[in-house]
Amino acid sequence: MHDTVFFLGKGGVGKTTLSSAFALALARRGKNVLVASLDPAHNLGDALETTLNGRPKKVEPNLDALEVNLAEWVDKYLEESREQLKANYSYNMTLNLDSFFSILKYSPGTEEYAVLWAIEDIHCRLAPSYDFVVFDTPPTALSLRFLSLPAISGLWVAELTKLRERILKSRQTIVRLNPESPVAASCVDKNDDKVYGKLGSIRTRLKALDTLFSKHSFLSVIVNPDDLSVFEALRIKEELLKLGIPLSAVCVNKQGVSDAEWKQTEELSHLPQFVFDFCRDGIRSRKDLETIGVEHLLHYFLDKQGKA
Amino acid sequence: MPAHFGHLLKKAMKTFSQVNREKATGMLDFELKELENIFALLILGGFVGLPSPPSPIAVELLPYMEKELTVLLARTDLSQDPLGVLMGMLEID
Repeated sequence: MHDTVFFLGKGGVGKTTLSSAFALALARRGKNVLVASLDPAHNLGDALETTLNGRPKKVEPNLDALEVNLAEWVDKYLEESREQLKANYSYNMTLNLDSFFSILKYSPGTEEYAVLWAIEDIHCRLAPSYDFVVFDTPPTALSLRFLSLPAISGLWVAELTKLRERILKSRQTIVRLNPESPVAASCVDKNDDKVYGKLGSIRTRLKALDTLFSKHSFLSVIVNPDDLSVFEALRIKEELLKLGIPLSAVCVNKQGVSDAEWKQTEELSHLPQFVFDFCRDGIRSRKDLETIGVEHLLHYFLDKQGKA
Repeated sequence: MPAHFGHLLKKAMKTFSQVNREKATGMLDFELKELENIFALLILGGFVGLPSPPSPIAVELLPYMEKELTVLLARTDLSQDPLGVLMGMLEID
């Protein structure tokens, strides 16, 4: 069952427009829907004509919306780790380590992880109250990075777990041969070792996110009738294929924006295509979202849900 | 007197046994410290330019790695003379 929907694509192709129109149409069908923006440069609130923050806000009777505040997530996460560190370390060690937490928020990869934590929080804490969650994603580069993180980090965690097991086995051998060894004071059992336990909990969380992306998500890539957005969609498809995440549909947005001849590429033609006409007057209100015409996509999605 | 002698003998045997145990585990101890050092280096290597897991994973593990950090720092002190450390451990003069 695909209860989570992601709209992906190049910057400016219409991810926010289609995700908000899709969520709105689902809600008006009587489904309880949450639409969440993961884009650091939010404009979901503009499309829905309301001001949003990190908490779900009722936009319509069946539709809630939120804009994930990534900076808040990074601060919250680093603060939790800092507190944990102070609780576990001796005072003089904390003095040395505390200083680099302030620079960690600028460390590469932190923003992608913040997106992942936000998705995890929405999936575990908020999603059970809704029928569907629709994500408006950031442009391709950031989206691909957070979608690939569970698989890449999973490999690291698996290798670190193997090394940790070797360390624990080595400690057990030493303590068995020499019970008075100083090693006896450290953890020798997997169940007592906090590092091993933490690696296990990270692995479980990453696995759950990987399953969410690869099995329970409806991923739709948006293209415009131009080659650049299609090339980027192809790159998205290839990258996701490597990660074992299948694409579910292609949305051709802004059809008729130009008179230039354009034909959909063969590589994307095997996926269901949904065409949306260019809105000459632009999307300025929630009412304009109704005119986009997402019914055919909605039917396909709900039909797939029924079959699943 | 015999009781006193028995006590001394027991103590000597215990010391002898402990010395042998220490000798038997010396190499394993060295290997364990190396493994703990590698584990800490793998996680915190990003800070000194080594390939490492994404830094948020390192940050999640960091609060539980005080012992590994101490080993890492001690190893750094010995890194000037790694052969000396190895020879010392193998009791080669």
